[in-house]
Amino acid sequence: MRLEKCWFCSSTIYPGHGIQFVRNDAKIFRFCRSKCHKNFKMKRNPRKVKWTKAYRRLHGKDMTQDSTFEFERKRNRPQRYDRINTEKVLQAIPKISKVKATREKDHITKRLSVGRVNRRTEDRRELEQSISLVKAPSVLKEDATLTLPKQKVTVSYAQTENTPMEE
Amino acid sequence: MAARFLSKSSSGSSLLGALGTSLLGVGSVARQTTSNLTYSDIFFQQQRTFIQMGTKLKVVDNSGAKRVMCIQALKSKKGAKLGDIIIGSVKEAQPRGKVKKGDVVYGVVVRAAMQRGRCDGSHVRFDDNAVVLVNKQGEPIGTRVFGPVPHELRKKKHVKILALAEHIA
Repeated sequence: MRLEKCWFCSSTIYPGHGIQFVRNDAKIFRFCRSKCHKNFKMKRNPRKVKWTKAYRRLHGKDMTQDSTFEFERKRNRPQRYDRINTEKVLQAIPKISKVKATREKDHITKRLSVGRVNRRTEDRRELEQSISLVKAPSVLKEDATLTLPKQKVTVSYAQTENTPMEE
Repeated sequence: MAARFLSKSSSGSSLLGALGTSLLGVGSVARQTTSNLTYSDIFFQQQRTFIQMGTKLKVVDNSGAKRVMCIQALKSKKGAKLGDIIIGSVKEAQPRGKVKKGDVVYGVVVRAAMQRGRCDGSHVRFDDNAVVLVNKQGEPIGTRVFGPVPHELRKKKHVKILALAEHIA
């Protein structure tokens, strides 16, 4: 039993799933589900289809180079069955996949953290520049209490109600 | 997907014609595409069925025949699948070959566009319909087989064809 990779989306194909297409030049294309198969029949390039792993790797959305990928590389040399080795491998597989998953998540968080910082600076800039949309600048100048809401100044409720009417 | 293409077709049949011809030009697939390209959903959802009376198949050995038309699919009312034997009439043949045009021959289907389920649950499908001519005993008439063949033939006891094959899918 061998777990193959879908040619289109690069997900694993478990036994009993998917279709294998053999082209006349003897190249075999495996698909995990009919979605990938139909996209292939439409002659779509997986490197241009946004939800495939090929696109994500190509455009740097997902991790490309890592030592955890070495474990999954296809080795064509058959290995003699060794019970101790097999047990060790079976124990190692969940550990490796956990490490790989955390590394992939970290890659994505790191990629998205730039956007977070950008959004904060944008918000700060907008607050400084466009505060006039909330209160007129002349009003702001008049009353020192009418600054950005962070300042805690004890003011009687009646006074704050009157000042916007002055506009 | 179908809705998008239908809306495209309504905008102008010339646009769709150009789309259709460019798609046909790119592919090297010997698919039977419908000439009526306004129904582009047929183009994408081609329903593949059995090999039945009237199906034209490619001959992939060097027995001399080029194309064979199926006149009977043995062992099934619906039609022949991958690995089945058919009786065919040679429609096109090479000038000097073991088989001539108009001969009635037996053939083993080695490639079928209709998918066939394997015992592990997966499905295989090939690009075209192809046949290898055999005699009544099941031995191939030709001496070479071109293209990939499935290993379903082993279960059907066509071991000689597997031996001659250049690639087993």
